[in-house]
Amino acid sequence: MTFEHCIRCTICVENCPVFRVQPDFPGPKQAGPDAQRFRIGREKSIDDWVLLCSQCKRCEMACPCGVEPAQIILRVQQRYGLEHPHTPAHLLFANNYYLSALGSMTAPLANRMAASNIGKKILGQMGIATYIPFPKFSFQTLSREKKNRNRGERKVAFFYGCFINFYRPDIGRKIIRMLQSFHINVVLPPQVCCGLPALGNGNLALARTFARKNVASLSNYIDAGYDIVYTCTSCGLCLLQDYQGILEIPEAKKIAENCYDLHEYLLKLIAEREIHPVFREVNRTLAYHIPCHLRALKIGYPAADLMKRIPDLDFTILDDACCGLSGSYGFKKTNEAAALQLGERAVSLVRKTGAAAIISDCGSCRMQMGGLSGMDAFDPAEILCESLGIRDKK
Amino acid sequence: MSVIEYDVIVIGAGTAGLTATAWLAEQKLRVALVTAGEPTACLSTGCIDVCSRDDQPLAGIAGLPDGHPFHRVSPEMLGQSLDDFRQMMADMDMPYKGALEKNRRVLSAIGTFKNTCLVPATMEASPQSDDERIHLITFTGLKDFYPGYILSRFPNASFSSYDAGVSTTMGIAANFEDSAFLETFLLWLERQKIREDKIAFPAVLGLESAFSVLKQIESRLERPVFEIPTLPPSMPGRRLFNAMKDHLRRRGGVIYWNWPVVGVERSGRQIEAVTTEAQGRPNSLNARAFILSTGSFVGGGLYAKRDRIVEKVFDLPVFAPENRDDWFDQDYFSMNHGIGQAGIAVDDAFCPTDSPWNNIFVCGSILARTETLKNGCGHGFAIATGRAAARSCLERLK
Ligand SMILES: Cc1cc2nc3c(=O)[nH]c(=O)nc-3n(C[C@H](O)[C@H](O)[C@H](O)COP(=O)(O)OP(=O)(O)OC[C@H]3O[C@@H](n4cnc5c(N)ncnc54)[C@H](O)[C@@H]3O)c2cc1C
Ligand code: SF4
Ligand code: SF4
Ligand code: SF4
Repeated sequence: MTFEHCIRCTICVENCPVFRVQPDFPGPKQAGPDAQRFRIGREKSIDDWVLLCSQCKRCEMACPCGVEPAQIILRVQQRYGLEHPHTPAHLLFANNYYLSALGSMTAPLANRMAASNIGKKILGQMGIATYIPFPKFSFQTLSREKKNRNRGERKVAFFYGCFINFYRPDIGRKIIRMLQSFHINVVLPPQVCCGLPALGNGNLALARTFARKNVASLSNYIDAGYDIVYTCTSCGLCLLQDYQGILEIPEAKKIAENCYDLHEYLLKLIAEREIHPVFREVNRTLAYHIPCHLRALKIGYPAADLMKRIPDLDFTILDDACCGLSGSYGFKKTNEAAALQLGERAVSLVRKTGAAAIISDCGSCRMQMGGLSGMDAFDPAEILCESLGIRDKK
Repeated sequence: MSVIEYDVIVIGAGTAGLTATAWLAEQKLRVALVTAGEPTACLSTGCIDVCSRDDQPLAGIAGLPDGHPFHRVSPEMLGQSLDDFRQMMADMDMPYKGALEKNRRVLSAIGTFKNTCLVPATMEASPQSDDERIHLITFTGLKDFYPGYILSRFPNASFSSYDAGVSTTMGIAANFEDSAFLETFLLWLERQKIREDKIAFPAVLGLESAFSVLKQIESRLERPVFEIPTLPPSMPGRRLFNAMKDHLRRRGGVIYWNWPVVGVERSGRQIEAVTTEAQGRPNSLNARAFILSTGSFVGGGLYAKRDRIVEKVFDLPVFAPENRDDWFDQDYFSMNHGIGQAGIAVDDAFCPTDSPWNNIFVCGSILARTETLKNGCGHGFAIATGRAAARSCLERLK
């Protein structure tokens, strides 16, 4: 947030995926530190192009001077959201948690609706892009899972996030079984959406409501000796960065200090000789699309470090391209063209590696990359489970 | 605190740090590169300056003042490191041209010539004198390239302008990655009936495929084509950085982005670990040896306070002209600002002199008396010292 430290080197601009394909967006340097010096006054924000930033944080990862263009822009986005009426698409995605909850309660119907032509038309009129299929709601969400107790000493409270809960609870179940196979106690603490979609759609108040609920719940578990484990890297970034930062949630620091990425957590337990997984061969050639928000977490690429231990597994790390979807960003009609162009470039980089399938920690990356390429897109945890012989119950 | 163990940690992902890390990974060491941000290479022309103060790099180096760190790199080491660099870039399909025996000229965006040693093949046909007949292509709305500068110095040049639909360096370069765009462009170019001997472009011919794009233009227009490096964002600089980074990864090296080193753990005469901030718990990177390649003032390795200059990671003693009045020359554009000499003084093993630590090695533009600008000791110097420091580090670990 120190816009005065900017030396105008344009390194952030070179790293901004949106700037490359969206001529209306002036890029992180101008939208961030440059414009910031004019934003001190009380005037209403008129730069609607701030909404074009997808919050991928690539600018921040590249800046050599510690300026945080994405953070500056995020705050202006919230201000813009306060000062302007919200479009249907923004409202919808900000509330995606409630919507998904509804969708999965009525899964068969909701899925047919979203896939039908009429459904697509309605979505289109609301400003929602339909170039890749809308994710399918799952009837049996993870939050409805029965509690399973183990006799181990390690206790984990699993923050599974909306994507796994509503769309891919099978992955969530596998992760739980994997942790249990190491004699770790896993519980599913009461939780709601992390709040990132609300933030990304300029709805600070809603994001704060979500965050408060989660912090209250998770904080209890920490006090009772649980470690918090998340698996979606964007949820993770929100919990660790935004709760302490823009959302200013008291106790957020405690959450951040006790929250682990799943793979980071496994590596830690391996290093502490608490668990001794035996990885068996997995004969696959994969391209590992690193989610932008995994980079922004600053924990390295822990899933890659784990997968390096799997015999016969061949994977290439790709961290130069954003998939373009950025959560709900690419689902908005105004961003559709940019999201498509970026997605296609990310897919072309994957193709160059000769990989047979894609892996990525972020559900929306997988949706985008899998949808555009027609290739399988896995969560790294699925590959770990394959190697450890862990299957979903059903 | 998350603890990560390596043999060697390299700090700073500039040309020096990237070279050192890739070489150590090749020697099968467990090595990681941690960096605050992206390096000055991204701002550069992509040309490799070894020692540009003389027409011959080797003679130039021989003529550097006593105490210049280049004297600590043997001619074999210099030759080997640049050969390896060229091989690496050729493997990435971004070949470089040139030789240590003689510097060559590259036309700059303001119409002057820059002296350098190795150039991206996309600049190989750059004119060597201002009477050459060249035709410039510019792009509608492109702010960072004014053909007028060059036209005013080249009597036999003319230009035409193409509307690429976008007007930024990045946007146009991204378009050139698209074969349909390239084809439409080529048809337009053929209609221009260009009479000059060579065709010049600002350096926007693609992100990573520039060499192959250039070859396609050459074969269709049947004459040499070359790129002119632009102000940042500079595509040739980014291509250089991206290629070095990919190479490093393929060799098994690991990079941690946006991890400015903020703390150090010491024991006796050894550095045991460096620490970096993260969102939750800080990271502690343990290693047996550390290579410091954080660059000079622009890179962020050095920081000037009112009365003294500090090295920001290990607080190593910094060499600088003693009298503050000697830091700056009266003339802003002078090459003799004393502060250009500031940096870390090292011995023959690239270990800092007068320092209590025996497992730190230093390379690149943070070295004392380098005077990057004055001596034209840029990437070539960083590559050579990066390699030399890495080798001496390996020998120490054995
Ligand atoms: C604008 C410009 C144009 C140039 N053009 C050319 C050219 O055309 N040809 C040429 O040969 N040379 C050129 N040079 C010179 C050349 O870029 C440098 O001499 C050379 O690349 C130096 O490399 P380096 O590895 O020593 O450091 P740098 O490139 O300075 O990199 C230092 C790295 O260290 C990181 N870092 C700093 N502090 C920390 C910390 N505390 N923790 C972790 N990481 C840290 C930085 O983020 C950065 O990535 C140019 C320089 C500039 C500034
Ligand atoms: S967060 Fe991403 S999209 Fe937004 S300005 Fe930064 S790089 Fe661009
Ligand atoms: S924000 Fe950082 S990367 Fe962007 S221009 Fe400023 S200093 Fe450079
Ligand atoms: S969807 Fe994935 S790749 Fe795209 S911005 Fe988010 S994390 Fe990055």
